[in-house]
Amino acid sequence: MSFEELDHTADVLVRVRGATIAELFAEAGRAMFHVMYGPCEDRGIERQVTLEAENPETLLIDLLSELLFVTDVENIVFCTFDVDIQGTRLSAALKGEPFDPVRHSAGSLIKGVSYFGLEIVKDEESYVVDIIFDI
Amino acid sequence: MLQGINMVGDFEWEVPVGYVPNMRVPGRFFLSRALAETLEEGAVRQLANVATLPGIVKYSLAMPDIHWGYGFPIGGVAAFDMTDGVVSPGGVGFDINCGVRLITTPLKEADLAGKKRELIERLFSAVPTGVGGKSAMRVSNKELAAVMVDGARWAVERGLGTAADLVRCEEEGAMPGADPEAVSAKARQRGGPQVGTLGAGNHFLEVQVAKEIVDPEAAKVFGITEGQVCFMVHCGSRGLGHQVATDHIRVLEGALGKYRIEVPDRQLACAPLDSAEGRAYYGGMVCAANYAWANRQVIMHEARKVFSGFFEIDYDEMRLVYDVAHNVAKFEHHDVNGVSTEVCVHRKGATRAFGPGSPGIPREYAAIGQPVIIPGSMGTSSFLLHGTATAMQKTWGSTCHGAGRVLSRSKAKKEFRGRELREHLAEEGIVVRAHSDLALAEEAPEVYKPSREVVRVVHEAGLSGIVARLEPLGVIKG
Repeated sequence: MSFEELDHTADVLVRVRGATIAELFAEAGRAMFHVMYGPCEDRGIERQVTLEAENPETLLIDLLSELLFVTDVENIVFCTFDVDIQGTRLSAALKGEPFDPVRHSAGSLIKGVSYFGLEIVKDEESYVVDIIFDI
Repeated sequence: MLQGINMVGDFEWEVPVGYVPNMRVPGRFFLSRALAETLEEGAVRQLANVATLPGIVKYSLAMPDIHWGYGFPIGGVAAFDMTDGVVSPGGVGFDINCGVRLITTPLKEADLAGKKRELIERLFSAVPTGVGGKSAMRVSNKELAAVMVDGARWAVERGLGTAADLVRCEEEGAMPGADPEAVSAKARQRGGPQVGTLGAGNHFLEVQVAKEIVDPEAAKVFGITEGQVCFMVHCGSRGLGHQVATDHIRVLEGALGKYRIEVPDRQLACAPLDSAEGRAYYGGMVCAANYAWANRQVIMHEARKVFSGFFEIDYDEMRLVYDVAHNVAKFEHHDVNGVSTEVCVHRKGATRAFGPGSPGIPREYAAIGQPVIIPGSMGTSSFLLHGTATAMQKTWGSTCHGAGRVLSRSKAKKEFRGRELREHLAEEGIVVRAHSDLALAEEAPEVYKPSREVVRVVHEAGLSGIVARLEPLGVIKG
């Protein structure tokens, strides 16, 4: 669905929306990579992630933290996130491109994903979550 | 001004028990009336949340650069009892031992005439910066374990510095208590290629001139003179530290029920100091802190080589004044109700500021107190201060760490253009080199509280004393 950056003086706060929980997670991934690198496109790099956590909030933080790890060690910028959630298990197919300092230096390095205020809620149309990234 | 807060001194404010439910002690923070106008309610609430944690001693504190973060507020300081208290990654942050070091050179500003741009280019080539910046060093897994235990000493033993450098670091560049077993394979994988890299965000290597000496006696002891060219390194523990924090917050969050600890914010996840989970976090955090000291040591070494080659000065003529950490938790002895007591002090965006005669500061600085280094925002002054007896009494020997933001990054990007900012700074004689102009906009001087005002407050409140003011000449950024 969408994400938007809200005001936060010290860090980056994004509000993410998704029609389903899986879509919400995919949008959260897209938001995080947008904050870090700006625009990105699929240039044939693919990765697969599987995770398990006791609740959706922790699962979301685990997914985003895992993506931070992968981008840091492999220098990959992801742009599409196909997420499937079954109960407490998540699998995600990721597509992206190699980090390019010329095209991907518009953003802010994210150091971590905060638990502060992170709660997945459902409004009339969609699932919503606010996420604070430490940068 | 916010409701429910009382002014209890010229620069001292109290957040009473009851401001949020379950506070065990009051909150105290230090601000001028002018800065209090910019104080966010969220930051005060976070200060009060910290006061709910088990074993907190005396007060939940915040320095004048207090602002809204996650877990602890930024600028937050709290000490915990060694028996009943906890350790919390939310009181340290993701960038464990983010810190600053200041180095003097034998050069005067005039020596840089016509050479500044070239100097900055050479520094930019020598020190990897930005997202994806990887080190030319190859650090094996075995060596990485040594980095995590020996910190800056590891670098000096490899010839990347001198023995005198180590004496002039907080903890002599390596905290005791490192537990490499508490550092995951992922953290090691991230840390291996990043030793000696600056990173991104507000991290920098800046060339400065000591523009004003405020306390000549202390300046003499610290070895800094008016007109002297200096350089400052601001960075932390890179991906290794970020991963250590991420891994352990996850474990501690899951262990809250086990220890029957209720927190008002999951980012305040913690465990008793004397528990398997608490000990593991502390041991891992120490590894990351030591990695950060090694990192700043390597960066300083590379910068010294550039200065040495470009200006034909000796490596040894560039003297490290001091290196301070501003995101860390430590076991320290402090006066608690008249008795010297060991406590676990958390400083998140706060600097240790031990006063004269305190243990753990270099002998050569004992009469003055430890040097405190406060980096300015881009294009603004940085400050060298000294620790005080007042800080020992009031703030567990702590002071501010920087200016503190007042404008979000998203607003900064809308209001400022990186290229214009770079050109404007160039007109003022400040050369800025970064990978991206857009990243510069986020760090425009206007997005921070005026560093002079923050430093004035810690000086007037007696938490530290101003020694010298440094102005930027050129900077490389991530």
